[in-house]
Amino acid sequence: MNSSEILKKLQQIVGNDFVSNSQEELYIYSIDPGASEPRSIDFVVMPENEEQIQKIVNLANKEKIPIIPMGGGLTLSGLVIPVNGGIVLDMKRLNRILEIDETNRYAKIEAGVSAGQLFSHLEKNYPNLEVSIPDAPPSVTIAGNTLIHGSGFLSQKYGNHGDMLNGLELVLPNGEICRVGSCAVSDHWFTRGPIPDFIGLFTSSFGTMGIATKLSIKLYPKPKMRDLVFGIYKQPELSTQLIWKVTQTELAEDILLGVQGKPDWMAGYVFIITYITGKNQEELDKKEKKLKRIYRKNGARYMKAPPRIREVFLEKPQFAAKAADFRKGGGFEYVGSFFPLSQTNEAIKRGIKISEKYGIIPTLGARVIDRAHNVMVFFSYSFNRADPDDMQNARNALHDTNVMSLELGGIPWKGELGAQKLILEKMDPNYKYLLETIRNQLDPNRIMNPGNWEVK
Amino acid sequence: MKLEEFSDIIHRCFRCGYCKFTYDYADFNCPSYKNFRFETFSTGGRMWLIYALMNNEINWSQRLANILYSCTTCGNCMENCRFDKFNDFLVDIIEIARIEAVKNGFCPEKQKSLLERTLNPEFYNPYGELNSDNQLLKEQYALPETAEWVYFIGCTSNYRQKDLRDATLRFLKKTNINFTLIDEHCCTSPLIRTGQTESVKEIMEYNIDQIKATRAQKVVTSCAGCCRTLKVDFQKHDIDMDVEVYHTSELVNELLEKGKIKFGSNFNKTITYHDPCHLGRHMGLYEIPREVINKIPCVELNEMKRNRENSWCCGAGGGVKIGYPDWAVNVSKERLEEAKKTGADMVVSTCPFCKTNLKDANENFDMDLEIIDLIEIIDSLELKLD
Repeated sequence: MNSSEILKKLQQIVGNDFVSNSQEELYIYSIDPGASEPRSIDFVVMPENEEQIQKIVNLANKEKIPIIPMGGGLTLSGLVIPVNGGIVLDMKRLNRILEIDETNRYAKIEAGVSAGQLFSHLEKNYPNLEVSIPDAPPSVTIAGNTLIHGSGFLSQKYGNHGDMLNGLELVLPNGEICRVGSCAVSDHWFTRGPIPDFIGLFTSSFGTMGIATKLSIKLYPKPKMRDLVFGIYKQPELSTQLIWKVTQTELAEDILLGVQGKPDWMAGYVFIITYITGKNQEELDKKEKKLKRIYRKNGARYMKAPPRIREVFLEKPQFAAKAADFRKGGGFEYVGSFFPLSQTNEAIKRGIKISEKYGIIPTLGARVIDRAHNVMVFFSYSFNRADPDDMQNARNALHDTNVMSLELGGIPWKGELGAQKLILEKMDPNYKYLLETIRNQLDPNRIMNPGNWEVK
Repeated sequence: MKLEEFSDIIHRCFRCGYCKFTYDYADFNCPSYKNFRFETFSTGGRMWLIYALMNNEINWSQRLANILYSCTTCGNCMENCRFDKFNDFLVDIIEIARIEAVKNGFCPEKQKSLLERTLNPEFYNPYGELNSDNQLLKEQYALPETAEWVYFIGCTSNYRQKDLRDATLRFLKKTNINFTLIDEHCCTSPLIRTGQTESVKEIMEYNIDQIKATRAQKVVTSCAGCCRTLKVDFQKHDIDMDVEVYHTSELVNELLEKGKIKFGSNFNKTITYHDPCHLGRHMGLYEIPREVINKIPCVELNEMKRNRENSWCCGAGGGVKIGYPDWAVNVSKERLEEAKKTGADMVVSTCPFCKTNLKDANENFDMDLEIIDLIEIIDSLELKLD
């Protein structure tokens, strides 16, 4: 089938208005705000339901066309830009919140529901429940974020967002619909087991294993009050011990570390923000007092958070896109690597050095995940899209950071193609064998986001 | 202005998507994105496309023109974009890109007719109605040749929403405002919004000469679009105004505040107020119309969920009413559905163009609401003069 015949078929499936091969859509979907080079696309399609997705997958299998499912398109690492052309499946028309199960504390939603939409829905209708949303613009989708192992303001307590998934409904690469999690057995999408847990197969696999259309995510009791305890310290090497001590208290809802070369008063310091929650001010005061003591004993100085900092860090969702405007150039990418707590000090120190090497104002930090069983350290590099040299500089910094992360025993998160290559080089050969075998079994025509996680 | 003037900032758009949403992220508040859904139809998408165009990464096409012209210029993106010193220019950039579309021969046909009719000496208005020099109205209302005020009627009020025009004229007479009318030509709003700006300055100069000939120091208009054009765009085009511009709601409010008028009868209705984008997001006039409403005895004002800076556009602006008539009315339908939820039986606005589109939706979809302009309510009340 030639391109115009495929276009016609796609139009028959989703309607003329929701498929495009015009230069405008092909341009916008071929590039993201990260540092990846643009890559060409053949079609952009916006399905409305699972049945349409099945038909598109069947067509793609028949014609051997790649399919790249896309949520908010804000991974910044080019994960939804096709490597070998094909169909970008913009999932945002599947945007229904299907069920909020208040008793069993989960939300069952379609894959195009944005973080802002679910957050707002809960705020309005279920004020006693909350969902962990990422520090990302509200336009990111819950599905996209959970499926890349995202994290958010409840991740210190409850783990990364991939861990918060109870179940998925997917269109598999063969066009069949499949449920994983308790929903494979029960009408209740309440947990992952106790059956072989295949949800992991679809997280951080970047759409290579199937297309998630529905998911269930855990909801949590919402505290009455929330505040933050701000502290600063000079030596990055104090970080590991400080985090360990704070997490030992079980007082923290969320813990963030930050290093910022700007504004000037922040330069040369690491700041720590521990979020605390409580039923009343008295409870918050007690927690704050205890944390102040821990800060002091571990080399950090408590500081009353300036109003602007309180405002920025207590806002939900946090206005993380601000970091993208440091250079006033609309470009931003970061390596966020998962590290064992023990490597946090070194990761921060080396991250600062990489920034300095490339003449980039240090902007890095960390989010503590799951009581410090994992620390996601992020190294951000904003750049000016209008300046190709600046973009290349950012790409070089990203590469060095990926290499450094792996050297320290960390793993780059939502890695772009270059990071995936580095990870695969270090990966256990039998893990790679397993990955390739499963993928070949599920997707013999290699239509699902080919070019990502390519073992061979 | 030229796109090149924004070359230092246009690439600042990160495509974070805040521009698409309501304040609380519960819904999309960008009419074109909500309808078309491709990222290209969001303001972020448009910024990136315009930037690509400037860099010759893409070419002019009918599709690109369609993407640019489907923006209602409602300004929701300016409210929600978080990047200061950039967000103020989003609509300007889109309008200037439309100028480029016109220059490159990509102005859509329907929008072209706005210019053709406005330049036609028989019309001088985008509706293609025979030009009214307003002499008959001047005679009917015994208006002088010179006066302190000019009532700039605007084409929509003069040719489509005459009830609104007549209510304004009666109000001005009743309150003894020393005013007159001019042989006005289109204020140029439709031309500016659709990028057809070549003759704009000439038309503006004609209108300002007419106003000056009356020796008026103040101009009042009942149209949000005219008001924005007279207050903002005339300045941008370096027109020597030297007159104060009022929207009718501002004039009514001033008269009430100064105690020059009082309402002497009740208005026993439950109403909701629709913020016109040109009055609200474009000029920050949110509270004055509400202050006037709240001074009306016995009226009950129920706000819609989306109000003030967070309003849902009526869908008519930016040339969308003429370019995409069916979709424009669907946008208004959504507004009326929201209005219904307030329990109001009347939707009040302060713009004849909003009134037109809301009325069209009301009729097309049997919404059973009354659509009215605030000045029509004021005119229906007994007024006590100081």
